[in-house]
Amino acid sequence: MTSSTPTAPSPSPAAAAAATPTTSTTSTPSTASTSSKPTKQQPSSQSQKPSKSATKSKDAATAATSAPAAPADSATAQLTPAELKKRAKAEKAARRARERAERESSGPAGGAPSGGAATPGKKDGSGGGGSAAGASGSKQVPRRGSAQNASQNGGGGSVSGAVPAGGLEKSAGGGGGGESKGGKKADDKNVAVFGHLYGQQRRTTVAGAGKEVHPAVLALGLQMRDYVVCGSSARCVATLLAFKRVIEAYTTPMGTSLPRHLTTYLSHQITYLSTCRPLSISQGNAIRALKLAISSIDPSTPEAEAKAFLGEFIDSFIREKITVADQVIASSAAQKIQDGDVIVTFAGSSIVKQTLLLAHKQGKKFRVSIIDSRPLFEGKSLARTLANAGLDVQYSLVHGISHAIKAASKVFLGAHAMTSNGRLYSRVGTALVAMSAKERAGGVEVPVIVCCETVKFTDRVALDSIVVNEIADADELITAEPMQQLTGLPDPAAVTVSAADAKKGGGGGGKSAAAAAAAAANAAAESNTLAQNVSSPLTGWKESANLQLLNIMYDVTPAEYVDMVVTEMGSLPPSAVPIVHRMSTNL
Amino acid sequence: MPATSGPLTPGLASFLKTLRTNPIDTSIDNLISLLKRRQIRHSRSCATATAYLLRGVISASRTNDANKLIERVQNVGRRLMAAQPREMVVGNIVRRVLGLIRDEAEDDREGDFNLSEAGSESQPQTPRGLDDPTDVLSARHDGSDRGASRQPLPALTAAPISMFSLLSHPDTENSLPGTPVSASPSGRLLGHAPGKDIRAEVLDGISEIIDELTQVDDQIAAYALDHIHSNEIILTHTSSTTVQKFLLKAAAKRKFTVIHAEAFPNNHEATHATVSGANPHDDELLSTESFQKPLIALGITVILIPDSAVFALMSRVNKVILGTHSVLANGGLVASAGTRVIARAAKVHQTPVVVVSGVYKLSPVYPFDFDSLIEYGDASKVISYEDGDLVDQIDVQNPLYDYVPAELIDLYITNLGGHAPSYLYRIVSDHYRKEDISV
Repeated sequence: MTSSTPTAPSPSPAAAAAATPTTSTTSTPSTASTSSKPTKQQPSSQSQKPSKSATKSKDAATAATSAPAAPADSATAQLTPAELKKRAKAEKAARRARERAERESSGPAGGAPSGGAATPGKKDGSGGGGSAAGASGSKQVPRRGSAQNASQNGGGGSVSGAVPAGGLEKSAGGGGGGESKGGKKADDKNVAVFGHLYGQQRRTTVAGAGKEVHPAVLALGLQMRDYVVCGSSARCVATLLAFKRVIEAYTTPMGTSLPRHLTTYLSHQITYLSTCRPLSISQGNAIRALKLAISSIDPSTPEAEAKAFLGEFIDSFIREKITVADQVIASSAAQKIQDGDVIVTFAGSSIVKQTLLLAHKQGKKFRVSIIDSRPLFEGKSLARTLANAGLDVQYSLVHGISHAIKAASKVFLGAHAMTSNGRLYSRVGTALVAMSAKERAGGVEVPVIVCCETVKFTDRVALDSIVVNEIADADELITAEPMQQLTGLPDPAAVTVSAADAKKGGGGGGKSAAAAAAAAANAAAESNTLAQNVSSPLTGWKESANLQLLNIMYDVTPAEYVDMVVTEMGSLPPSAVPIVHRMSTNL
Repeated sequence: MPATSGPLTPGLASFLKTLRTNPIDTSIDNLISLLKRRQIRHSRSCATATAYLLRGVISASRTNDANKLIERVQNVGRRLMAAQPREMVVGNIVRRVLGLIRDEAEDDREGDFNLSEAGSESQPQTPRGLDDPTDVLSARHDGSDRGASRQPLPALTAAPISMFSLLSHPDTENSLPGTPVSASPSGRLLGHAPGKDIRAEVLDGISEIIDELTQVDDQIAAYALDHIHSNEIILTHTSSTTVQKFLLKAAAKRKFTVIHAEAFPNNHEATHATVSGANPHDDELLSTESFQKPLIALGITVILIPDSAVFALMSRVNKVILGTHSVLANGGLVASAGTRVIARAAKVHQTPVVVVSGVYKLSPVYPFDFDSLIEYGDASKVISYEDGDLVDQIDVQNPLYDYVPAELIDLYITNLGGHAPSYLYRIVSDHYRKEDISV
């Protein structure tokens, strides 16, 4: 990189001439970036810094073509802290590598990738995949995603505000397409019926996230991906709280107004979140309400006032739609529990937990039977909470459904969403529990009660669990065996291996070096043995042809299995879902 | 790991090895303790062990009196069944051996060597040579003819000990098709006595039962092409060898997709091993069958799913093929936990449920108390050691079996062919004698 950047400035002295030199500066690093390490990039940015103001003015003139260079510089100008800069650089490197991969995968039609002169053509080639060259420029703008840039484009108002958003989605989709093309071999690991659900891989790091994504949102995204924040309501609340911080930190750029620009700005955050894990219905509903509130702000409102209004809106949304709603639902569902009941529940729903705890607090004597499922085992924490509260808890897995349901007198289920045709969209396995409750031998039906806030209602409909679903990483299914070894002593086999390693590695060094190497190797080997302990027959499933693992997150329970939906607006039959949804969205 | 200790691990293999050398009473106690400790678990292993033990019991008893033999077998059988009352196949094999003795005793009384008609009613063992799906009736007729033709080949009462030890040599089971053929000539060589030897006949019959046990999966698999069509999506559950052989047989000719529910937590390791073709770590399964190719090697797409996803996928499934632990006289069955929910889900989606099972799993027991059939297993498979604090507070359940009522099953495929659940009582009456139903 250091070697390539000097070549870049060499054309730039001629640089009053605008477009082609700047593209070459940006594109040559991109060709080099595959071989370059992040450390190499540091000097390049420093070398770019002096020319920043100059390039900035240039950018204003040639915004469309030199777009990729401009936002980076403007970003460094806007976000002075060093770590932000570093992150931007890491992003840049990642993005360039990705762009390059994309270009390569999207076709050798792009031309020879060697010369600096050829690179503009290459760029056009990649852009040609979209629509026009201008479109390709604007497509890359939102990807870089700087607020300032958008503001430069965004004189046109809300329409142009919408356009970059669309472009962003498109480009994100393009990236996904490129990845899937690259992973053609992985294609037969995708279950054909669910082919439409395998989109992008879930994001693994914050690297490559747009720099306009707020740190709170960055963190939340990873938490959601790792199921740290899990559950429809929890994700909804966490998203809203993160957005509240985003709005607090937000300053309206010059030349636009908050209601016009904030929506666009938020949509970057939303896109980031959705790359971490697909958004839940409740998140979607909350975001829709928030956007509606933003657009309802009068553009002439002072910024501070508008932000205060939005903060208040988010607080009251959380309070009304979730916190208080949960209390209302818990108290009305707890009334359904009587002494001597055996309540069956599936996985870990927060609202069911509240209900059961409340009923217990009211002094009702009942038993809870929790059915749990792989791979998340959400019921475990529910069982722990309930047991700590002093409830009588029985715990089994999906294979024990028919045994658990035999004694059941009521089934309480949480929901991810209720669809407009009255079906319950919830954690996979819920349908089995509901079905067992309705089909118990002897014809005695167990009432199935769903606890669900109206914020989880959606106007979408679902007939089966295949069209709409979420595919989680199949590797989650590979069983983590309980560790065989419970002492801290190293495994004898591992010791011999590590000794061999140490001999190999520490051959040149002295005795102490060898010992250190042995210690290091030992540690490594220990982690290896742990990994081996965890290994199962499926460890190499990706290599064995024709074997596919499927890890879907949700299933759809037919409406006839649900007797009652307890919401904050009252207890309803499932058929009333669309009506309530219409009422609550019109309010 | 115990795997290093190899064949000495208590189980079917070690039992069969010691059966030859140990005195018979030791072997009986040995099997009882193995059953009690669940060191022999799979129904076929239990059946094989029981059959070999009973053969040893009969060959060791120095009497030709049918009543004494019946009494002896009943005694042993009661003890075995009491050791593991939920393992129905033990009782099934005991009943079939009892039926054999009774049949021979009746034949003896009649003194009739040509009883092909009577034999067809009472001949319990499955006829061999059924690999081509011929008509069941003619096949059985054929078998009884064969049984009659062998009857004039008795053995001496004094001499045959060496022959019987030869017969009970476990190695003979490896050369399955040859066993009866090699047995008959040796019998012919030894015995020219005109007197009828019930014991030898019974031992022959038990050998046939043992042969049936080794061949049953292949015989069932022979029907595979009658039931699986091209491009079908089949859902199955657990690592049942019978189901795997059935599917493998079909896979040789047709392309289809298998969705495999993993049967967590009691059988998921074996299921994963079956699906991926890795060798199971279970010693008991470490037989020739476990080294068969996995379905994926034959180009069959196998989709492994957690049990919870069964309902979500059922709408795409054309057929559910299940293995079973034992089949009851009413057409219901006891299978590994989770089967009932799968069968229910299939019923809800109008998907046919096919159960493949050897006739030896068919029990004359009528399930008056379903709960008594269910065995509960190791709770640590549900809640692992790391969550040990929970175990003090909550009641962890790990049922091993489910009772699946007959109305959820559409078809049984046994080594005799396909049957409706309502027809099973007839097969029961073919295989067990009324007087033996309560041993």
